[in-house]
Amino acid sequence: MRRLQVLRGYLFTVLGIVIGVAGLVALGAMSERIVRFIEGGDRFVLGQISVAGRGMGMGTGFTAGGILPAATIRAISEVPGVQGVQAQIMLPLDPSTSQFMTVTQELVLGTDLSVPTPNRHYRTLPVRSGRFLQQGDRKVAVVGASFAASRGLSVGSHITLEDEDYEVVGVLDRMLTAPDRFVMVSIDDARAQWVAKDRLLRTVLASGAMALTASDLNTGAAVGWRDGDDPDAVALRIKERVPGVNVQLPSELSRLMRSSTAFFSALLVGIGSLAFVIGGLSLANTMAAAVFERIRDFGVKRALGATDLQLGGEVLAESLAVTMLGGLGGIALARSLGWFIDRYLAQSQQLFYFSPRLLGGALAFSILLGTAAAIYATARVVSLSPAEAIRRGA
Amino acid sequence: MLRAAGLVKSYRAPTGKPIRVLAGVDLAVKGGELVVVTGPSGSGKSTLLNVLGLLEDGDGGEIWFEDTRVSALSRAAKSRARGRYVGFLFQSFLLLPSLTALENVLLAARYVRRSGGATRRRAIELMQAVGVGDRMDHFPAQLSGGEQQRVAFCRAVLNDPPLLLADEPTGNLDDANGAVILDALRGRARAGGAVVVVSHRPEAAVGASALYHLRGGALAPA
Repeated sequence: MRRLQVLRGYLFTVLGIVIGVAGLVALGAMSERIVRFIEGGDRFVLGQISVAGRGMGMGTGFTAGGILPAATIRAISEVPGVQGVQAQIMLPLDPSTSQFMTVTQELVLGTDLSVPTPNRHYRTLPVRSGRFLQQGDRKVAVVGASFAASRGLSVGSHITLEDEDYEVVGVLDRMLTAPDRFVMVSIDDARAQWVAKDRLLRTVLASGAMALTASDLNTGAAVGWRDGDDPDAVALRIKERVPGVNVQLPSELSRLMRSSTAFFSALLVGIGSLAFVIGGLSLANTMAAAVFERIRDFGVKRALGATDLQLGGEVLAESLAVTMLGGLGGIALARSLGWFIDRYLAQSQQLFYFSPRLLGGALAFSILLGTAAAIYATARVVSLSPAEAIRRGA
Repeated sequence: MLRAAGLVKSYRAPTGKPIRVLAGVDLAVKGGELVVVTGPSGSGKSTLLNVLGLLEDGDGGEIWFEDTRVSALSRAAKSRARGRYVGFLFQSFLLLPSLTALENVLLAARYVRRSGGATRRRAIELMQAVGVGDRMDHFPAQLSGGEQQRVAFCRAVLNDPPLLLADEPTGNLDDANGAVILDALRGRARAGGAVVVVSHRPEAAVGASALYHLRGGALAPA
């Protein structure tokens, strides 16, 4: 009953706070999403040594470079400190230049499943439904969450890759980073796709000018290191001892990635600050205005015998209830907006990430700031005599 | 019940010049008395009532409620004294718009820590007695002026305060509703309460124990 009374008097205040907090949370969720993407990539590159063939080729992502033949992969595996080498092929799904170097680029990843994944941070990828790839799989695919959502794929669905039919056997959990847009297939299937995509490669293979076998068609490799070894030192050793490779030092790649995403980081700080200022001002102003609007009520209550302490306690309890309600409403509104935009306007890309720290922080922020504003306004109001408060509120 | 001596109150005009509204007002009201103060608009009637009811501080003078010199009390103690000793009736009713009629009446009990079934029953009885028993769940905006003032009267007397101060209580009412409220105030005095009414309406003086005229900041018998 008491809560309903509070609602009656503060309905528009609650709505104002809902809007303010929704703006704060929505902008924050977009920031969190970008942070997750960058952190996920960083975590990936720090978990393995990425090696590609020297030169230019179809390979993209972490394996950008030329062909990495089987003999080179064997040579890498013999370098001291190396624990495992997994041949990989990473190809753009759509090789048109407009798709290159965008954060939404969709990739085909083929991995040699006879070798355990060397990446220390991604030994396995989380499968939401179905299963992951197994050794010996052909013409089957495991797809990332965004890739699946954008095409309405689920386990049992079929997709066509380079005119070949593939059955989806697994869909990954949403990871908020690159694999969300991956199609994962066996390395043999990826090799076939590469040949189909790359006219030059087809010509070279047909001419017999190069002595290439199927196992030589790799765009790169993920290299693991032994426990206790320094990954950068192992990477340098590979660089020194194995000719014809591009080796990325994990720390250097991480630094490179961070510097290339510095723009996004700055953008995040800007968005976060803007959200903080706009949301905070809106919330504090709404709450203080709500108290000032009730100046006559405070005068009446003091005429009825309310002390400053009683009024302060009353306002504190009400502002806690109102800001909590407004905060929760704002979070609900932002989540609904995010869901709607992700579902209908962003082609199933996830643009928002409502992390627990964001939601908890936004709620605490709204309660603390709203209550502080209410207390400030109440202190101003009760400094007036009851007669003056009634006069001003008339 | 109420004693005031040498009350002085000045306001500062926008030009900065002080305007003396009360210039040494003396007044005593006993239980069972209905005192009516009249005077032209702007003569300081409302200011006198506000100072007597501790709604604003005077610049000088003293006020006693029974044996307590309330004009010397702290802010918090004055608030408590208002809750314990005084009931107010205002020209513009001053009901809280977000509360129902019954909740408005019960508001008077909240700050003197009187709540529970007995208080609620008394509030309902009072509302029925003044003819708004069927309007308890209505909000002020859903009530007529006369009904609002009756609800405000119930709020003023809920705690059975020994002193009732009414500032132009019939100012916004038609004659019929005004008569109901004045009757209720007279009834309050007959029941032993001290009642002070400021009004410019002559009918307010009917049945008064004493009638004063406020002019030039001083009270004079009318």
